[in-house]
Amino acid sequence: MTVQQVLFFLFGAIALGAAIGMVTARKVFHAALWMLLAFFGVAGLYVLLEAPFFAAAQLFVYMGAIGVLIIYAIMLTRGMMRQRLPRVNDQWWFAGLLAAALLVVLAWLVWQHPWATTTAAAPADSLNRLGLTLVDPEGFALPFEVASVLLVMALIGAVTIVRER
Amino acid sequence: MTTEVAPEPADLLTRLQERFPGAVEPAPEPYEGLIVARDRLVEVATFLRDEMGYGYLSNVVGVDYPEEVNGLPPRFEVVYHLFQPTGGPLTLHVHADRENPVVPSLVSVFPAAEFQEREAWDLLGIRFEGHPDLRRILLWEGFDGHPLRKDWHEVYYEEEKKPFSSRWPEGHPVMAESRAPLGRNLRYPPGWSPEDWRPTADAWGYRPHDEVAEQRNPAMPVDRVVLNMGPHHPSTHGVLRLLATLEGERIQKLEPILGFLHRCHEKIGERNTWLGNIPYTDRLDYVCSMTNNWPYVLAVEKLMGVEVPERAEYIRVIMGEFTRFLNHAVSVGFMCNDLGIYFTVMLYALEEREFILDLFEMTAGSRMMCNYMRFGGVAHDMTDEAVGLARELAFERLPRFVDKVDAYLTENELFRARTVGVGVLPPDQAVAYGCSGPLLRGSGVPYDIRRADPYSIYDEFDFDVITAPDGDAYSRYLVRLGEMRESLRILQQALNRLPDGPVMAGKKKATLKVPAGESYGRIEAPKGELGFYVVSDGGPNPYRYHIRAPSFINLGVMGELCRGHLIADVVIILASVDITLGEVDR
Amino acid sequence: MESLSRFLAFLADAIVNIGDWIRGLLLGAGLVDPWVSLIMKAIGALVVAFFPLMVVVFLIWAYRKVAARMQGRLGPNSSGTWAGPYGILQTFADAIKMLTKEDIRPQGIDLIPYNLAPILVVFASIATWAVMPFGPRLIGSDLNIGIFYILAFSSAALVVFLMAGWSSNNKYATVGAFRSVAQLIGYEIPQLLAVLTVVMVTGSLRMQEIVGQQEIPLLFQLPVTAFIFFLASMAEVNARPFELLEAESELVCGYFIEYSGMKFGMFYLGEFMNSTAVAALFATLFLGGWRGPWVEQAPILGTVWFLLKMGLMLLLWMFIQITFPRLRIDQMLAFNWKFLVPLALANLCVIGLVNKGITEWFPGGVSTWTRAGILLMTNVGIFLATWGILAALERREQRRRETWRAAQVGEVEVSA
Repeated sequence: MTVQQVLFFLFGAIALGAAIGMVTARKVFHAALWMLLAFFGVAGLYVLLEAPFFAAAQLFVYMGAIGVLIIYAIMLTRGMMRQRLPRVNDQWWFAGLLAAALLVVLAWLVWQHPWATTTAAAPADSLNRLGLTLVDPEGFALPFEVASVLLVMALIGAVTIVRER
Repeated sequence: MTTEVAPEPADLLTRLQERFPGAVEPAPEPYEGLIVARDRLVEVATFLRDEMGYGYLSNVVGVDYPEEVNGLPPRFEVVYHLFQPTGGPLTLHVHADRENPVVPSLVSVFPAAEFQEREAWDLLGIRFEGHPDLRRILLWEGFDGHPLRKDWHEVYYEEEKKPFSSRWPEGHPVMAESRAPLGRNLRYPPGWSPEDWRPTADAWGYRPHDEVAEQRNPAMPVDRVVLNMGPHHPSTHGVLRLLATLEGERIQKLEPILGFLHRCHEKIGERNTWLGNIPYTDRLDYVCSMTNNWPYVLAVEKLMGVEVPERAEYIRVIMGEFTRFLNHAVSVGFMCNDLGIYFTVMLYALEEREFILDLFEMTAGSRMMCNYMRFGGVAHDMTDEAVGLARELAFERLPRFVDKVDAYLTENELFRARTVGVGVLPPDQAVAYGCSGPLLRGSGVPYDIRRADPYSIYDEFDFDVITAPDGDAYSRYLVRLGEMRESLRILQQALNRLPDGPVMAGKKKATLKVPAGESYGRIEAPKGELGFYVVSDGGPNPYRYHIRAPSFINLGVMGELCRGHLIADVVIILASVDITLGEVDR
Repeated sequence: MESLSRFLAFLADAIVNIGDWIRGLLLGAGLVDPWVSLIMKAIGALVVAFFPLMVVVFLIWAYRKVAARMQGRLGPNSSGTWAGPYGILQTFADAIKMLTKEDIRPQGIDLIPYNLAPILVVFASIATWAVMPFGPRLIGSDLNIGIFYILAFSSAALVVFLMAGWSSNNKYATVGAFRSVAQLIGYEIPQLLAVLTVVMVTGSLRMQEIVGQQEIPLLFQLPVTAFIFFLASMAEVNARPFELLEAESELVCGYFIEYSGMKFGMFYLGEFMNSTAVAALFATLFLGGWRGPWVEQAPILGTVWFLLKMGLMLLLWMFIQITFPRLRIDQMLAFNWKFLVPLALANLCVIGLVNKGITEWFPGGVSTWTRAGILLMTNVGIFLATWGILAALERREQRRRETWRAAQVGEVEVSA
């Protein structure tokens, strides 16, 4: 087993284990922390895929921003931190059904897809290429701009809601 | 305060008697002022405030007379000291039943009475009818009785008056502690045990806060947090507890909870001899012990009718003004500490303080607990060396320090950002709450006892009463800065004119004869009006010994000042009010 | 004579040469390459991790000494117990004291996050040092996303404050944690925008490339950007004017109020390490990193220059720490969102346009000096425009205040 494989299984185990920890944690705060650990594991997988930019973005956006905001929202919720909540509510069977269906679909997709294997190294200027693709009209310029407009709308909406009248 | 002309006392009495027939009579010798009927007190006080210009209630004190003293029957008495913008006190006496003492509360007329009436309830058990929140203030719930009642005795009670003969059996000293070892010097109310006692929300001051916390804003439900600041907190300047209800970081309600340093100073004072109380006064506001001696000796001198020699008066002024400088410098330094400039400004101030303490040591023999003033003068003369040091400080060193602080802080953008508009106290509220000192003058009220009711020789000096108009923390800083400059001006004049002569009237005596009577001595201490109310029955000990502590009364307005501000502002407001816990809790 | 020159040649790039020597030894001992690389990387990681720790140990001493001298005190010294010349070993004594203190666990804490937080806070600060260029060939790992990596780690470290603040079961700690979110996320934006400006001008995220581009330090090309970055970084590392997370006089210690002993020490360490990292980052981004005279001849000098520049920034940090009052939370957020973010955005747009313009108008390329001159002039323009807007706003505010005060005076006639 190469070092790469060891690390792959390590990070995979972190991501999966943390995900299981998240859905089974009794405290919402712990669930949020488990989720951050899962993000971290995914970031490790990105590093192994020689996509360091994605790894750093994962840390920056998912851990540093989204995760923190989720925890913040939890902290603002009254009494959520102290009591140990039940793991499931009365919709558990529906959620379980949905999750199982998703699992089946995903597994089928993974099974079906002809995964191309290549030994070529990732291009050295992948970062530059990523940047160019994002602003290229032929590439992803439109989705990129639409996403940013969406975010601005969300921002303005949030400000409108909390503004004192 | 209004600017009405002060009516003559005789005129005042006739007007009062016309208006309230049978309710007001002059107090018999040796008492001063008026005796007001209990049931007409609120009306009389309102009349005095609104029509006679007595807008400032300075002092409320309860006195217990279990037996006939000074020719009046057994009673509880509540004494009020009211002031006009200038001149001396109007003393109101209200008599209450010895068995069931009830007096109408003056809080509706003078909010200043709130804390002081709570204190009188706590220490003497006088019930004030109509008081919004009559709880104990200095003592705790497990305390048995009301200690300032004459018939209340401590567990290790020995004798009514000092010196205790039991301390010197056959000439050998015996410590009181060895007679009442720890554990047996406590007494709880009957049927009360500390093990079973669970503090109720009410007893610990949470009840009103819970009510505020429960009020929901229907548009956006927000939880409120009850936060305790202190008694162990770096910015409460001692063991003060501030109980705050927060919405986010904003203060909805804030209440100071006192008594963590309470030592029943007044009971000790009643046991002590007249002279023996002077060193105890040092321990009140331990930052400025010199000015603590002063109003006490002033009050007793008034009773004794002693003339203080001129040199002694000059030395008192010199010491008092140095103390004021010291206090304001340290206060500004600590305010900067609370702002986050840890120790830099404070250590600059403490450096100057060291020099002033050197001067105190040269003259009084002690640096902090000076115990310097005596009835009829001061304990020791100032040596030439001490005068030399004082001259150097007053003319050279301290002006440089004030200029330095001025240059660093006054126009400092960050300092102004944190202090301007913080803790605004409107002038009418400042007067109503009985605030004094820089807190009052920072609200634009030019009331300084050195000018309004001159004591000692302050009428001979040329100085300005510093005020600042905005009533915020920055204004109070400006007042302190200006007063440091004015103190130096007074010091320079006093040192230039310092006469020769004795520093003590008459010979030093171990025992004193203080004629029967009552007296209220007050000075403009660095923190505000420091007053001592003493009653003598002609004996070797004070019959009643009460301190009107400026820190204590200035704290009464704290809740008003903090409302709507952030937690970060609370510490700035507290620093700008400038308290010393030794004086608050006494 | 020859041996001396060989020694000098060795000394000129001492650290790299020592590394090569160890590698040679390991290869000579018969190990194969991937393992040798792994061992070398482990040694490198250890060195890089220990560097900030050692710097911080002396930084704490230096901070106390400088603070003491500015406040008319002596600071750590050997007058009582011996603590080295000028008390330089005081920090070690303190560390031993902290290690031997009782580990107090308050009631009601959330045990695992509570104990994890002090470890992670140091981890996050050390991790940022992996991509810091100490010299021309001295760098933990010259990632092609270097600067982004640092920002990502400092952003993820925010979780640690939340963990510590929440798990402590203390209201002050909770308020500190709430503040940390508002402050750190808020100030990340101008910091990021400032870094983006630098990246745009240098054309790379790679740390060595950013240093390599600075024949003229970027401070003299982009002073406004440097200013924004400096202020935002002060807020990010929780330094004095923005020191609201712990705010000793209000929140006592903020999010780490309940920690004692070495756990407290870890937070203390993390704080100083973050400050050091930010100083190093500023030195790299704006002061030319290891660049300086004679670095070509003796690469070890690069490390010296780097440390000197870092020390300069730390000295500035200390002066500010000792003399500045703290802002209030609303003022601090207003300063960020109403001043720093708009300025950083405008700065980014203008510099981006000018930078693009230079390459468009001079297809043949321009000399470094011309380019720097144009950028500096642009910065002066931005500065003057900002100044003008601020002055106009201030004048308006002044007028408003005066009318308000006039109305007040008319209402209440105060006299005694």
